[in-house]
Formats: sequence, C-alpha cells, structure tokens
Amino acid sequence: MNEKNKLIDKYSAKVYKNRKDHILQLEDLDEAQSIAANTRAIPGVMTARGCCYAGAKGVVVGPLKDVCVITHGPVGCGFYSWGTRRNKARADEDSGGKNFVPYCFSTDMQEPDIVFGGEKKLEKAIEEAVALFSPACIMICSTCPIGLIGDDVQAVARRTEEKYGIKAIGYSCEGYKGVSQSAGHHIANNGLMRYVIGTGDKAPAKKFSVNVLGEYNIGGDGWEQERILKRCGIEVVSMFTGDGSYGALKNAHLAGLNLVMCHRSINYIAEMMKTKYGIDWLKVNFIGVGATCKSLRDIAKYFNDAELTRRVEEVITDELSLIYDDIEYYKSRLTGKTAGIFSGGSRSHHYQVLLRDFGIETIIAGYEFAHRDDYEGREIIPFIKEDADNKNIETITVERDLALYRERYSEAELEALGAELDVDSYDGMIPEMNPGNIVVDDYNHFETDELIRTMKPDIFFSGIKDKYSIQKAGVTSRQMHSYDYSGPYAGFRGAVNFGRDVTMALYTNAWSFVSPPWKNEPMLVGTIGG
Amino acid sequence: MSTNIVSLNVNPCKMCMPMGAVSALYGVRGCMTILHGSQGCATYIRRHMATHYNEPIDVASSSLTEQGTVFGGEANLLKGLANLIALYHPEVIGVCTTCLAETIGEDTAAIIAKFHEQNADSGVKIIDVSSAGYAGTQNEGFFRALRAVTEQAPHDATPNGKINIVLPMISPADTRWLKKFLLEMGIDAILLPDLSENLDGVTATKYERLKTGGTSIEDVGKMAGAKLTIEFSEFIRGEDSPAVYLNETFGVPYTRLPLPCGVRSIDALIEVLCEQGGVVTDELLRERGRYLDAMVDAHKYTAAARAAVFGDPDFVKATVRLCCENGIVPVLAATGSVCRELRTLEPEIRACADLQMTEDFRVLDDCDFETIEQYCSELGVNLMIGSSDGRRVAAKLGLPLIRCAFPIHDFVGGQRVRTLGFDGSLNLLDQAANAMITRTETTYRAELFDAYHGGAKAAAAEKPLISAEIRTATHPCFGDRACENARIHLPVAPKCNISCNYCVRRFDCPNESRPGVASEVLSPQAAFERYVYYRGKLKNLMVVGIAGPGDALANFGQTKKTLELIRAYDSEVTFCISTNGLLLPLYAAELKSLGVTHVTVTLNAVDVAVGAKIYKYVDYMGTRYAGEAAAAILLANQLAGIKLLADYGIVCKVNCVALKGVNDGHIFEVTKMARELGAFVTNIMPHIPVEGSAFEGLERLNNKEITALRDDCEINIRQMKTCRQCRADAVGTLDNDISATLRSAVSAPQKSKTRRFAVATRSGVLVDLHFGQAEEFYVYDSDGADVRFIEKRKVSQYCNGKEDCGDKESKWTAVLAAVADCNGVLALRIGDSPAEKLRDAGIAAVATYEQVETAIRAAAGERAQTLKGA
Repeated sequence: MNEKNKLIDKYSAKVYKNRKDHILQLEDLDEAQSIAANTRAIPGVMTARGCCYAGAKGVVVGPLKDVCVITHGPVGCGFYSWGTRRNKARADEDSGGKNFVPYCFSTDMQEPDIVFGGEKKLEKAIEEAVALFSPACIMICSTCPIGLIGDDVQAVARRTEEKYGIKAIGYSCEGYKGVSQSAGHHIANNGLMRYVIGTGDKAPAKKFSVNVLGEYNIGGDGWEQERILKRCGIEVVSMFTGDGSYGALKNAHLAGLNLVMCHRSINYIAEMMKTKYGIDWLKVNFIGVGATCKSLRDIAKYFNDAELTRRVEEVITDELSLIYDDIEYYKSRLTGKTAGIFSGGSRSHHYQVLLRDFGIETIIAGYEFAHRDDYEGREIIPFIKEDADNKNIETITVERDLALYRERYSEAELEALGAELDVDSYDGMIPEMNPGNIVVDDYNHFETDELIRTMKPDIFFSGIKDKYSIQKAGVTSRQMHSYDYSGPYAGFRGAVNFGRDVTMALYTNAWSFVSPPWKNEPMLVGTIGG
Repeated sequence: MSTNIVSLNVNPCKMCMPMGAVSALYGVRGCMTILHGSQGCATYIRRHMATHYNEPIDVASSSLTEQGTVFGGEANLLKGLANLIALYHPEVIGVCTTCLAETIGEDTAAIIAKFHEQNADSGVKIIDVSSAGYAGTQNEGFFRALRAVTEQAPHDATPNGKINIVLPMISPADTRWLKKFLLEMGIDAILLPDLSENLDGVTATKYERLKTGGTSIEDVGKMAGAKLTIEFSEFIRGEDSPAVYLNETFGVPYTRLPLPCGVRSIDALIEVLCEQGGVVTDELLRERGRYLDAMVDAHKYTAAARAAVFGDPDFVKATVRLCCENGIVPVLAATGSVCRELRTLEPEIRACADLQMTEDFRVLDDCDFETIEQYCSELGVNLMIGSSDGRRVAAKLGLPLIRCAFPIHDFVGGQRVRTLGFDGSLNLLDQAANAMITRTETTYRAELFDAYHGGAKAAAAEKPLISAEIRTATHPCFGDRACENARIHLPVAPKCNISCNYCVRRFDCPNESRPGVASEVLSPQAAFERYVYYRGKLKNLMVVGIAGPGDALANFGQTKKTLELIRAYDSEVTFCISTNGLLLPLYAAELKSLGVTHVTVTLNAVDVAVGAKIYKYVDYMGTRYAGEAAAAILLANQLAGIKLLADYGIVCKVNCVALKGVNDGHIFEVTKMARELGAFVTNIMPHIPVEGSAFEGLERLNNKEITALRDDCEINIRQMKTCRQCRADAVGTLDNDISATLRSAVSAPQKSKTRRFAVATRSGVLVDLHFGQAEEFYVYDSDGADVRFIEKRKVSQYCNGKEDCGDKESKWTAVLAAVADCNGVLALRIGDSPAEKLRDAGIAAVATYEQVETAIRAAAGERAQTLKGA
C-alpha cells in the first residue's frame, strides 16, 4: 500500500470518498495528473483554511498602508487580523507619509448593533476615522453577521465618498462566503480593479517599469525584489499589495509589464489588466537563486532591449558573486535532505525551487486554498466545473478601456516572443514534482501528522497551527507564513537567509537531546541458562 | 477611544467570546472544541493560542458556507461532530457558537440532541456553549464555557469534602503552582479549569493528538458535592458564574477572592483555606518572609514607577493590588471589557497616589489601545504591565512592558508566566524593580553630566554654527523677512499646567486655527519622523517649534527628547519653543543646553489682580492654586524666567492676548516690563473667543483696535505685526499652513483677492445646512488658497430684540445683517427667493455639499468672476 492509501484508509467511508480526490501520489506518467481543489472543507477535520474575510482583509487590502481598513463587525475578527501577517510597510511618498498597517480599526459591534443594524455605527466610525487619521481612502471589510443583518456597506461607502470627498470601498467579504480565503482574494481584487486601478495619472519615470502582483512583502521579500529590479534599472510602479498603497495602485495601469508572484491570489487582476489596459503578464518566481535569475532574464527578454539585457546580466553576475560562498556552505550541509511544504496557494511551488538550490527534494507539497490551475497549470481552466460556492463569488468582466489601453506588443510580435518566453501563462506546481511525491489539497492536521509519520521528511514548512505538532513529532519545522520572524527569503540575499535558517533548524543541538539516549540505544538482552 | 470617540475601536484591548470559551475548555480532560460557524473563527483562534502557548492547538469548525446561512448549519455540525470523534476520540466535546451561528439563530441544543439520537453509543459528553462574538469578550466567553461545563456535567452531589476552585484565564505555570500550593496546605480541591498540562506539554517520543491533562468531566460533576467554592473572579456576572450556579442548584457555599497576587490577596486565600482545615507549612511562611524581604529591598526602585495595567478585569485588579502594595502607582488601570465595577479600585489607587504625590490617575473600562496610549503620555506612565498587545504603545512611547497576560505573541514563554503566589508575585515585583533600575542606569549619567559639566550638547550650543542674529533674521515669527521662511510646529506636548479663561484645549477642531490646537499629539519619535518628512519637502524650513497643544515645559520630557532627536539629525535648524513661563526658571538652563535659541512666553498681565481675572488655576509643584495666589506664582516665574532667558542670550518674544475689558488697558505695562527684562519683541494678539471657554462671550478686539494698541506700545519695545496665531501643528510659511492642505490632500489653487464668505454648517467640517435652517454662520476669509476662519455669527445677535426674530421677515433682516459684509454665502441648499434677495444685496449664493475649506477655495477661486467685487 502506498503512502496515500495508507493515509486515506484511516478515514470513514464518507470522508474517504471526498479526500481521495484531493490527495495525489504522483506516478511516472506522460499525461497530466489531476487533483480536486477549491471545494468545501469537511467539517470537523481541522482544516488549515481560513475564511473569506481573512482573504480580503488579512491578505489583500490589509497591507495597503495609506488605507484606513475598518473591520465592520464584532471585535474578534479585527483583532485576529491585526499585525498577524508580517507584511512590512514603510510610509513613503505614494502613501502621503502615512502608514496605518500597525493599526486595527473595528466597529466593535455589540448585541444591539446586531439586532438593530450597524450602519449608523459604521458611519459614525468613519466620521471618527476621517477626523482622527485623514486617510486618502477607506475600505470597509464585512464579517459574518453583516450580510445577514442587511447592513449595506457599499451604500455607506458611496455616502462616505460624497460626504468627505475621499475614496471609499465597501467589501461584502463575510467569512462564510466561498470555501476559503480564496473567495476573499477575489472579492478584494475585484474592488481594486473596479475602483482604484486606472484612476491615477502619474506615469513611471523610467523606460522599463513593472507592477509586482501577489507579493505581500512578508518579512521584507518585496523590498529585496524591488532592490534587485531597481539595480537592473526597472522601476516598480506598484506592489500588490505588500508595502503597497492606494496612492501607487492608482497608477498601476501605466506600468509596462505585470509580474505575477502569487498566482492564486491575483491572477484575476493580471488577466483583467491585460484586457482593459493591454498589459502583458509574466509568471515570475523570486524565491530561489536560479528562479530569480530566470525571472530577471525573462523580464529582459520581454522588454527586448540590448542595454537592459546587458544590465540584467551584470547584476546577476555581481549578485551571484556576493552570495556564492554562503550558498555553497549551506548547500554542503543540506544536500540530500527531504522536505514537506504546506502553504496557502503559491509558496509550496516557489519554495521547491529554492530548496532544490540547496539540494533538498520536496516530497510532500500541499495548498490550503489553491485552485486546480495552481496545481495543474492554466490550461485546465476551461475544464474546471463551477459549483454553487464559486457561483456566489462575483465575477466582473472588463472591456478594453479605449482611453487608457495601450498595446505593448502586437499579436504577431507576442507570438514571436512566445517562442522563448511564456507570456500570460503558468504551468502549475505538479510538473515541478517527481513520481512518488505527495500532493495534498486543503490539507488538515490529521493528514499532516500521518504524512510526517509515513513519508519521514527531514524538515516541514508550514504555519503556526501545524508547527508545534510537527516539532512534537520530532521533525524540524519552519513557518512558511511568517518565516518565524526572519526573512526576507526572496531574491539573492533572501536565499542566503533561508539557507542559514534551515541549516540552523536542522542542526540545532536540541534535537540530539529530544530522544533520551536510553531510548535509542538497544539495552543488553540475554537469556538465562540453557 | 477617548471619551468623544465612541464608534471606532482603534487597536482593540480585547478579543471575542469564542476565544475565551476555547481556552477554558482546554482545561477539561479529553475535551475538544468545535466552533459552529465559518472556519475562519477556528483558524484565527488556533493561530493566536498556538503563538502564545507554543503548543499545537486543535479547534474544529463546522465550516459553514453560504448555503449553511440559508438552510441552517445542522448538517455541517452533525458531520463535524462525527468526524471529530472518528479522528480524535475525545471524551468531551464543547460545541461553541460564533457570531454567524447566533445571528442565524442556530438551535445547537437541538442539533446535539439529534446527534445523540443518531449516535446513541458515541459515549461522548457534548457541552453546548453559547458564545456569540458580539456578546462579550474572551473573559466572559471563558466563564460562560466554565458555567456550561458545570451545568451540563453529570452531577454527583454526594458530599465529598472537597473545595472547588474556579479560575479565570491564568497561565499553565501558575496553575501548576496553585495545585502544589493546595497540596502543601493539605487541601483536596477540584480545579476548573486545569490548564496546567494541556497548554504546556512536554516533548514525548510519541505525539498524542488528544491531551490527557485537565479536570475530568466526572470531577466537574463532583463539584456539586463540594463543601465550598472559591471563585477567583470578583467581576464576572452571576449568570456566567459556576460558583453562583453551584450555590443556587446544590447549595454549595462560595466565596469570591482576588487572584492570589500580592501579599494581601495571598493572605486572604490562606485565611479562607485555613478555615477549611488547611495547614500553613514552615516553607510557606519562609516564602512569605522572602517576599516581604524583597518588597523592602525593592521599594526604593518601585516607588518611582507609574504603571499602566491593562487586561481582563480580574488580572487588572490583582496586579493593581500588587502595585499599590509596592508603591508602584497604577496611574492607569484599563480593561477592554465593559466592567463599570472596575472603578471600585479607585480608593485603593488614590491612597497609593496620594502617598507618592501623584495627582492624576484613571480607571477605565471598554477601552482600546488608542486611549491607553493617550493616557500613558498624559499621566506620565513609565511602566506597562499586561499582554504583548501593549508593545506598540510601549515602543512608540519608549516604555518598558512586562508581558504577563494573554496574549504574548512577540516573546516566548507565555505558558510559563508566573504572577501568582509569593514567588509569582516576587517575579512580577522583580521585573518592575529591574525595569526602573534599567531606566535610571541608562539615563542618569547623561543627566548628571549635563547638569554639572555642561555636557557635550551644551558645548556645541556655546559655539553655534549659525549666529543668533542670523537665526532671528530667518525666523518667520521674529525676523522681518517673515514670509519666505517656513517653520514646523510639532505637537508633542499635550499637558498644560495652567488654565486660562480664554482657552479650551480640545483634541482637534478642524475649523479652528489658533494656538493650542492640534489634530493629533505625536510621540517624540513620531514628531522626529514628521520633521524628517517635511525637511525633505520644504527647502525653506528654518525653524522647529514646540507650541503645545499644551505647554512645552509642562511636557519637558517629550520636548527634550524631540529636540535631541532632531538635533542629532540636523545640526542647523533653529529651535523655538513656546510656554506660559511657569516652569521657565526650572528649565531655562536646560533649554540653553538643548540649543533652543528662541522662546515665546505668553505674558498677559504684570499685575496680580489682573492676572487673577485671566487664570482659573495654576498647578505648581504638586499643588493647585487659584485666584491671586495662582497669578502671583505664575507672574513671579514668568518674570524670573524671561530674565534668565535674556541672561542666557536666548531671544525671547513675549506674547500678550488682548482681552477686551480685562487686560487691554494694562498691556502697555506688560510691554514695558518685557523690555526691562530683556525681551526682544512683543506680540499683541486679539483674543479669539472659543465656545466653551470662560471668555466665550467676550467681544473680540477688531483689527483697528489691535493696530492702535501695537502702535501705542511700540515706544516700549519692538512689535510683531505678522502674527497669524498658528495651530500647534502648523507647517509651512505663516501664510500657507500646508499641514492642513496636506491633511485634506488638496493642491494649492491659484490665489486671488481675499474675499469673505458666510457658511451654513452644523459642525464646521462640511457645508451641511440649508440656508433657511442656519441659526448661525461661520465666517471665513479666503484668497482662493488660504482659508482663514474669522468668527461665528449667531443670527439672533443681529435681531432687534428677541421677539422680533420669531417673525419671518425680521429674521430675514437679521440674516442679511449677519452676512452683509460677505462676498458670498455657502449653504447646502438655498431657495430661489432668498438667493435672489442675496444677489440683490450683492452677495453670491452658492449651493454646495463639500468640506468647508474646499468649498470656499472653489468659491473664492473659480467663481471669482461672478462674485461681488470681482
């Protein structure tokens, strides 16, 4: 029995039926292998998933530093999403010198507000927020009760705009919507597309400019990417949304190219910006030394400029020379190890590439809330069946903006470019992996425990919820969401940080004491007499 | 939020009920919890608890989706229970509701009954807990879960001679201490909950998913037969109290005690236990002795501490009692819960504060961290005690924070925090004392050096790179070339030590532009950052001023820190402060060594009798003075202070507020004195009547009168004529306060001729009143760029006698009289007929719905042609 079957065998018939399609043990096949994804979590099995609100507020709009994000609802949700993502931010010119990221704003609804409606309290809260903080933009994020009691946050947003002359967006991102955070990403991004992107007119100053989509600047990842891009002479117009700002997002449509980091949370925007403004997108990966080099070269290929190409090569040569010794040392300590990664919706793919730089093979990989295209590539999209839960999430269709559309390349030029460069496409995680490896969708606590037992990885990358059970099982754990308060892990310098952290975790002395010697060494056994 | 902010919670000091319920159920053996609602609730709570306890936290969810909100969540909950049992084999399951389940009105009791019906042999005890996130905080959720477990456990009322101990959320380590302590005293107890093992586990060769520690459900049932319940909460409501339930249902007597933290609370517990047959061992006596010994040792350090204690009400009470016993004045005791009863701590805190000559303290409930931060600065807090959520305030204000309450997210060891018992109290006391010692260690050498040897900074100030003359010439408020240079006022000084009858210090008032007003108060670090920001923006920025919104010297710590930070960054900028002069003799030397070259002192009278009319009170050296005594102290210090400034070569401007009928006849004397003391210039300013101040009704001196007064006094001393009566957070040149324009992000429009506008507004923020409804008008002058508030005009004041105004026609006459000198009237709506009448009078009528300043700029700029005089 292979590891997958050993695992799902422990489930009841009903759960077995559901989970067998979400767990895949890769085989040595030529044809594509498929997996079920983006369906409802099973109640009671300790899914790692969060809710729609977490996706909208926690992930997408929370990092916008000049936006006063007001959580409309009882206090818990606002509190729990306060500073928990480690999305670093620093006030800058685009944000008008403001940074609200360290703040948590909540309407703190009480029982009477639930009974009689909370719109009045929300409007009062907005009035107070405007008076105290003068934000350029207010975003309202709804929690579970809001949709049920009928508060109209969009109407409140409209009235806010009229009353104070600032931008306001109301999000109906109640926790129960969709099946995971993914619904929230979608809802939040729709709002940015509809109300923010395209409203600014500050054109980039440099010849080559990009937006980095789906980079949330955890532990400073975005800053490392920006540093490298700047060195190459490429201007970052905006970052969605790590260290991002409403002020910068407004001008995103003026960039030359979109770079997509987290495909899951943001591919909609990339697609819509292509349709509406004519901006092409490249799936990049700045996690991993080789991956970073490839991403930079792809960008240069796209812009197709001799000077830029020369500059990119110079930067790559220089950066590699600076990290070579460190990387080689860590590689010597790490080669041959095996890893498991459970993350949200993109990192499990990105980090496999970085781990391979150090000679580590990833034998288990899973996502909390990915869709099939994140596993199998975008070619699968036309074949994904819509179910009731997806249908509840609004899809917006955009059309070419005649005033702002600017064709970067003609169809023919793009095709010519396509021979050596994958523009507007993504092949997914599964093609990266090897036969025998396990892929899990919507992993849960039980499966994590079991897979550690059967697959025996040396190190497991996951979140705080799994961290301590992994460690209690005697396996090294590194947090993939907060980096255990370390980072950045992206780009060239990040790779060194990562190598250092993983080496430190695997080789710490504590492991040698965890299993007491008298348990490991065989006791003397003898028989008496003949 | 501060008292007037009621709807927006900024940085909450509380969590929700399910968080507390889940935590409490971790103290029941073999118990797992399923949250009935969206899966995000479980995920968030697992994340927060795991970070605090550094343990795996398993909380299931019924994972309700949109379908569940429409058709009910029964199917999900039934499935969830079945899966939870199949995978984890729990003995007990807590079903806790969430906002979602409660809002859609789920009948969880019925669903649980149905589950038992369908799974008669499950053998699992299922506890139903109603814990809507909006119905209370984690504290209420914690007790509500305990109450539910107590009510729903299989009761066994056979007398068993045991004592029930009901606990609020305390750490596993404190729970372990309590168990040992009870054992030592020979007390047979049932703890509810017992978090000692499940949330602070050991490493084992085999990881067990289901925790084996905690109080068994059978033991919870036996609480019905105990001889006494001790409940360590004095604030929880009866309906959520297990002790009250056991008393009402099974007649178990109960007593409520504060958590055993600090010698009095521990003694109280020991006394109760002794009545129940407990024995005080020699070891316990020695522990007590050691703690008392440590109290004596620590007193000289702890006496300097002014603490902010924040958290759950029972934690706050326990900690406040420990603080007061040790001379630590808990000047701020705050909880996020709604708990008016926390005020019962006031007498205790007052006694401690009196002894330590500390005047002010606050006990606050329903409080967020924005409010805590505000009071930390105002009350001079130098130590914070509570959860790690205080770290942002601590970092911002540069305060030490003792982390000893849930949640602790930035340090390790949340599960091992010790505050209970003699050694736990000692741990807390040592940390407080050491925080004070560290503070002294890091500051006193520099302070001594500065005080006795001039210090490096003083040496630098003695050899100024830029001469005082040049600084004066380039200072927009002192020099002649006032207009071209910019200054920045940094609002770091919130407190004031005197009360002037013409002043109401409010936190903010967007329509007012006058001294002492600021939109927000900044910490020194934030002020420094603001300076750096504007340094880059304004090439002509010459002066950093500290002008309140209170008094720069009443907040000397903040003022000093701000100037030091800026001086380390920029050796050239001119430093200017403004003060009422009360503390000037005390700080003049230090101002000199900080490199302050310009000081403005507000001197309204040089006669005690006149002064007594202007000042309500003066707080000086810990005593509040009123009447002539107050005026005399203030005056003596002002005069000595100005003299000292002159001696140190600091350029001094004397501001004088001209108050009609109060001191306007006396100002000549003031300016004369100013010259004699060596002041450089005096600035006679008209009083701006402020609503709510004692001089609210006092008529304002008009420009002509002020000019005449200044001309009179010119023979005594140079007169400043360019004063714009800036806000305490003004930035830019005198004629262009960009702090306001940047606040509203409006680019500077074209300037044109100055025109006057009357605005129908309710609040002064928006043009939001119908013309016909306006009982008063706000009057502004604007040149299309700058908008200056002139005054408020009540229509009634323009009536011929009160009765007249009832009559429509007379009211109209009064309205016309009120706006007669204006070029335009701005209102939300204006009827055709009044608009016509206004036009006939040569006044433009503008209907708009905008922010006042924006609307005026638009009217003054773009529509200039259509207005009178264009």
